Amino acid sequence: MSAVLRTQLRGVARRPARLLLTGLAVLVVSFVVYATVLAQEITKRSVLDGLSGTPAAVDLVARKGTLTTAELAAIGKLPGVAEAAGRMDAGGQIGNEYLQIVADPSTGPLAVSHLVSGRLATGPAEIAVSPRTVERLGLKPGTTAKVSLRFDKDGKPEAPTSLTVVGVVTGRDDYGFQAYASEPAVARMSGSDALNQIDVRLAPGADADGVRQQIDALVAAGVSKVKDGERPEVATGSQVRLEEARAKAKDVDSLFAVIGLFVAIAVVAAGLVAASTFRIVFAQRMRQLALLRAVGAGRGGITWSLAAEGALTGLVTGLAGVLLALGAGQLVPRVVAAFGPHVASPGLPIAPALLTVLLAVVLTVVAVVAPAFTAGKVSPLEALRGAGVTAGRRDIGKARWVFGLLLVVAAGLVAAYVFQGLPGPNPKDYNPSINLLAIVASGGLAFLALIALGPVLVRPVLAVLGTPVRRSGPVGRLAAGGVGGAPRRAAAVSVVVALGVTLISGCLVGGESIRVLADRQSSLSAPADYELTTNDDPIPATAVGQLQGRSELTHVVPYRRLAVTAGNGTDLQAVDVQLAAVPRLAGLDVAAGRIADLGPGKVVISAFMADNQGLHVGDKVTVVAGKRSMPLTVAAELSDVAPLASSMIIYPADMTRLGAPAGYSGLLADQAVAGEKGRSDGRRALTDAVGNHPWAINVLADQRDQINSELTILLAIALGLIGLTVLIAVVGVGTTTALSVVERVRESGLLRAVGLSRGALRAMLTTESALYGVIGAGLGLVLGVPYAWLAVQALGVNAPLTLPVGQLAVVFVILVLLTAAAGVLPARRAAKVSPVVALGAE
Amino acid sequence: MQTQFPPAAQDALAAVAAVDLVKVYGSGDTAVRALDGVTVGFTRAQFTAIMGPSGSGKSTLMHCLAGLDTATAGQALLGGTDLTRQSDRVLTRVRRERIGFIFQSFNLLPQLTAEQNILLPLELAGRKPDRHLFNHLTEALGITARLSHRPGELSGGQQQRVAVARALISRPEVVFADEPTGNLDSRSGAEVLLFLRNSVRELGQTVVMVTHDPGAAAYADRVVLLADGKVAGEIDRPDHGSVTEALRSLAVQR
Repeated sequence: MSAVLRTQLRGVARRPARLLLTGLAVLVVSFVVYATVLAQEITKRSVLDGLSGTPAAVDLVARKGTLTTAELAAIGKLPGVAEAAGRMDAGGQIGNEYLQIVADPSTGPLAVSHLVSGRLATGPAEIAVSPRTVERLGLKPGTTAKVSLRFDKDGKPEAPTSLTVVGVVTGRDDYGFQAYASEPAVARMSGSDALNQIDVRLAPGADADGVRQQIDALVAAGVSKVKDGERPEVATGSQVRLEEARAKAKDVDSLFAVIGLFVAIAVVAAGLVAASTFRIVFAQRMRQLALLRAVGAGRGGITWSLAAEGALTGLVTGLAGVLLALGAGQLVPRVVAAFGPHVASPGLPIAPALLTVLLAVVLTVVAVVAPAFTAGKVSPLEALRGAGVTAGRRDIGKARWVFGLLLVVAAGLVAAYVFQGLPGPNPKDYNPSINLLAIVASGGLAFLALIALGPVLVRPVLAVLGTPVRRSGPVGRLAAGGVGGAPRRAAAVSVVVALGVTLISGCLVGGESIRVLADRQSSLSAPADYELTTNDDPIPATAVGQLQGRSELTHVVPYRRLAVTAGNGTDLQAVDVQLAAVPRLAGLDVAAGRIADLGPGKVVISAFMADNQGLHVGDKVTVVAGKRSMPLTVAAELSDVAPLASSMIIYPADMTRLGAPAGYSGLLADQAVAGEKGRSDGRRALTDAVGNHPWAINVLADQRDQINSELTILLAIALGLIGLTVLIAVVGVGTTTALSVVERVRESGLLRAVGLSRGALRAMLTTESALYGVIGAGLGLVLGVPYAWLAVQALGVNAPLTLPVGQLAVVFVILVLLTAAAGVLPARRAAKVSPVVALGAE
Repeated sequence: MQTQFPPAAQDALAAVAAVDLVKVYGSGDTAVRALDGVTVGFTRAQFTAIMGPSGSGKSTLMHCLAGLDTATAGQALLGGTDLTRQSDRVLTRVRRERIGFIFQSFNLLPQLTAEQNILLPLELAGRKPDRHLFNHLTEALGITARLSHRPGELSGGQQQRVAVARALISRPEVVFADEPTGNLDSRSGAEVLLFLRNSVRELGQTVVMVTHDPGAAAYADRVVLLADGKVAGEIDRPDHGSVTEALRSLAVQR
């Protein structure tokens, strides 16, 4: 070992805590990486352990072919077979509602549903239903429902069967239309003896292979009796369960591939933090390194020993991170188990553990290279100079300027390429993937440019964003001066914060745009909570009046629909819905004109119709229905399709004049009370009104809710994963502040000596780390928002550009608070040091 | 606090005084008595040098008198206030408003310009700078042309002159200088010392300087000699020769 390395290592051994502090970001990221591996392991195992569709007691399965109840009976009689369950389901209709009736024993080891209340359905006209079905279809135990189970060739229901609900059971799926009955009952209901699958449980000690061969022969014989039969396969239960589990594990794997992407970004962030930390640590040791140079150490020797120290740091922190993750991974399932749910232990994946440590070492070595080279260049003369406070470099080298500007130009060119290739409002055959990839590339280049040019950007950004701080008084001025005086340090930390904020703001802006788009489209496709439609049995005004009187409903708005032709003879749909009475339609986007201008002799047309007929606001168009026709003036042109799948909205009186009958073709209504119960109540009010009419009820609110909750969940997951990068950034700010406090202990002492109070010093250092957050968050917003806009445009879905100012402001404030919090501890420590000790420090 | 002052401190002209000041570092066997009952007064509008061999306690004495360090026993009086009994908050105010510092290694803030460094104590105190005094100081110190420069762009002598201006800008009751010429060449050192002496003569400033350089001490009106944490003598109107002689005799006694 070289003398230089020995000196360095002795220094490390004397202050092992500093090694951990230097590599804290690496420690955190190793933890995150290995914890992700363990989480994947836990999820996979839990899924494998958990409910697969096939109960654990199933030993053999006959499936994927022609199976009938005859085979089921035959298999049940085979020696060695304890039980056989046939899987089949029947589709029924209650009024306009769909009901799925699944065959299941509901008891015993082969059951897939389990009794909650009431009793099991055993009789031929008995069913048990799932909890949501009780709520949705009003099928309480004890009630009798008329269900159409058989259909004629035209798909019209034949006479309904009366079924009695005897109990409530939980099954694997509950979509609100599940019922369970015994297998013979379901066969009778559907009038078919075809089975999807036969599950077999063997008697204890039975010869599995023997039974399997017998079943195989049995089903083969069964197929030969049927025309176009397909021979089923016979598999073991474990085989089927494994297949099902594999399919689920595959979902888990692809989910974790996405998570891995975010973890990779966090790794990059950790590398940036580590590099800046090493730079600070080596700068502190400049005098010592210069001394080594003065007594004869070579430049290369210094560089190598510093790099070796970096590798050691990576090894120690990587190992610590992996061990911590392992501890957490073993602990979490136990803690969760204490609250009930069973979660599998992740085991001890050795290879990923070693790889994670290796990653930590490689990452640290990569991070340490540049700082080590810079430190190796120290002049031996440094050692002989006074220990006065010296300022760090404020500028960047020429090469770095050129490199940074090239990156800016490259990023700009790629962005310009995307910009000129942006799709129009109604793109045809547009494939967004190339543009999206280009945006990612441009964003990456812009970020590299930010890293290169960071030190020169700090001061201008600080001049703009730091003004309030500087105005706040001498402490703020000193803090701003401290950050501006060491722009390299500030840039190194802020860039990591910027990375996090770029991703977050991009997500928020993109998410908000998509949400507005989804809202807009759902207000067109789902303008109300419920829609009642009919084809040939118009809804009379009395029924509408009754519904308007129901307390469960509000905004009950009927409309008529008429098939018309216009101008050049295109077949179009016209509706006379009163837009102002439907809240979601009142704010419909218009391309030109005003919806409020709709009156007698006026028409509001869709974008399609405007395009198709070459119409503009103020133009006249002749609308023809059968033998009648009338000229209408365009009052407004919508920016998208018209609601209720129509092309134009006309005034009710005009509709009558065009020959529309008095009865309504549909109505829209909202639930009066929010929530699941309000929705069911509203639906029941509609069901009551429908009675025996062939009117269909659509719960549009369900679709809308689903889209909304899916969006929210997606956004929450994305933000959670980006949180990793933010965590690393905050760690970076914390370590930088902690180390720079050590570096600047003399400066602190001086400030105390000339009359800065302890509290003010604390405030100054905390403000400094908050300023890192301000700069980083500012840069992040500047990068994130435009790129998100560009990406939204490039999607080609005609989404609006939104700026969720509130959310972005919250992100900004939170980031600044987090970075300020990261500076609190180091600031407290610095303020505790007595000025004499501080001034004496080297 | 105003009771029972010993003769040295009762002197109405004393701007700052130590009364039976004791400072012990560490405890038990390793305890070091850096100050062992020092009683000494520093006259207003006088330039006093504290001298003594290394380890004699001269820096500790200055730190205690300036409210930078706390004493183990005794009093450190600044214009009648006993600094050894004060909270950190009061000491901070004292340092900010009543004391000026000049350090051996300048200790300017690298991120501030020379002008900002000079005005720093006033800014911390929230006071408006006296432009007249500022102009006078910077002209007399010959740094008018360097005011917009940062410390890194100044020579050692210039940096120390900026530090001197910083110490004087708040019109402190006492200026403490800790080896102010230790890091300077002899010409720059002489300029700083001359300026300090002129500020005593012309502005009535009280200056207390710790030094081990007899040449620097010769600029002072009076020299207080310290040895082993005790006062070991005084020289009025010192010159290079008398100071060297006194130091030699101190060394012989030990």
